[in-house]
Amino acid sequence: MDHSESIRLMAAEKYLLGELTPELQEQFEEHFFDCQECALDVRAGAALVEHSKVVLSEPVVVSKPVPVPAKPVRSAWFRPAFIVPVLAALLVVVGYQNLVTYPQLKQAMNSPQILPWASINVSTRGTNTTQISPRAGEGFHLLVNIPPESRYTSYTFNLSSPSGRLEWSRTVPAAASDEARSIYVPGANQEQGTYTLAVRGNTAAGESSDLGHYSIEVQIQK
Amino acid sequence: MQFHTFNEAYLERLCSGDFRTESHFVAYFSELIQLKLRSRVNSSHTVEDLRQEIFVRVFAALRSEGRLRQPERLGAFVNSVCNNVLLEHYRSSSRESPMEDDASANVPDPSLDVVAILSHKEMEQRVRQVLDELSERDRRLLREIFLEERDKDAVCRDFGVDRDYLRVLLHRAKQAFKAVYLKNISAGIRSTAAS
Repeated sequence: MDHSESIRLMAAEKYLLGELTPELQEQFEEHFFDCQECALDVRAGAALVEHSKVVLSEPVVVSKPVPVPAKPVRSAWFRPAFIVPVLAALLVVVGYQNLVTYPQLKQAMNSPQILPWASINVSTRGTNTTQISPRAGEGFHLLVNIPPESRYTSYTFNLSSPSGRLEWSRTVPAAASDEARSIYVPGANQEQGTYTLAVRGNTAAGESSDLGHYSIEVQIQK
Repeated sequence: MQFHTFNEAYLERLCSGDFRTESHFVAYFSELIQLKLRSRVNSSHTVEDLRQEIFVRVFAALRSEGRLRQPERLGAFVNSVCNNVLLEHYRSSSRESPMEDDASANVPDPSLDVVAILSHKEMEQRVRQVLDELSERDRRLLREIFLEERDKDAVCRDFGVDRDYLRVLLHRAKQAFKAVYLKNISAGIRSTAAS
């Protein structure tokens, strides 16, 4: 047997697996005693088989997945040391609201209030600025007089703050006769400066007409 | 292990008793002789006795007057001495009771030095890596062939593979292991020569 034949036959592997016939075994042995490359192949293979016996005889260690403890997020939140003071604080807040805040608000709602107001006539187009001086945190009323105009079915009011931001927009149906509308401007977040009220009339056909822009100068009293 | 050319100079050093050359020669051919003997002789003690007898005869022949004329045929010469010793062993053992299997066949040689032990460990580690890289099925296949020594045809049938698959599997594992093997046997020979 020569080297190429031993490679072609996979003689080293067959030798290690005991698959060669006695004649071929003799021939291959004769060859690998003479061929260092095949000798190395056989020796390495034999060493692999010997060590494999040791390694494969070792008990298979099945690595159990280590249970990852669930993050105790919920349980941490619900620990008595945390939850009891929180519930107690909530109880105090709810109690205060029910016993103090809400009755005061209810009383304030049901009590007559005297608030500043200004009048705007929609039909009047001019550059006059309406002035109003509410106290800090106090709202005011805008009395808007709208002349009867049969072609409008509704009116839209847009109030812009001194910074130009649209504060709110409302559309109300037109009344049959001459009417005055009261627009309440709340005191919260009120800015000092000139507010602008834009009024538009809307027809049944969906057309919208600009009826005027009116300036309201708000001077907040300290 | 370095590949040595078995030439006139090598043969000269061997015959003159050069220790390094003798160490290489014994280490190189011992494994081949053992492989050959193990496939024919059950007892590891007998294998060792026969191996020693082979080297005694080889060295005696090399140092005799009519020594080997063709150095490149050194391997073939060792093989022929091995065949002769085996033949004599067969003849003598047929007249004696058959030997029992040696239970200590796989017990490491207590005379192994530190380098050999480390080398052994490294090779075992590499084999572990090679086997770990195999699929679970291939590992079980090799386990049943080498460790449990089951009938190969039956194992192949059970795993739904043919013998070629087994050969290729062994070939790949062997190729993956060869570099570490080569490095370790070279270190082993250097250590033997230095001691």
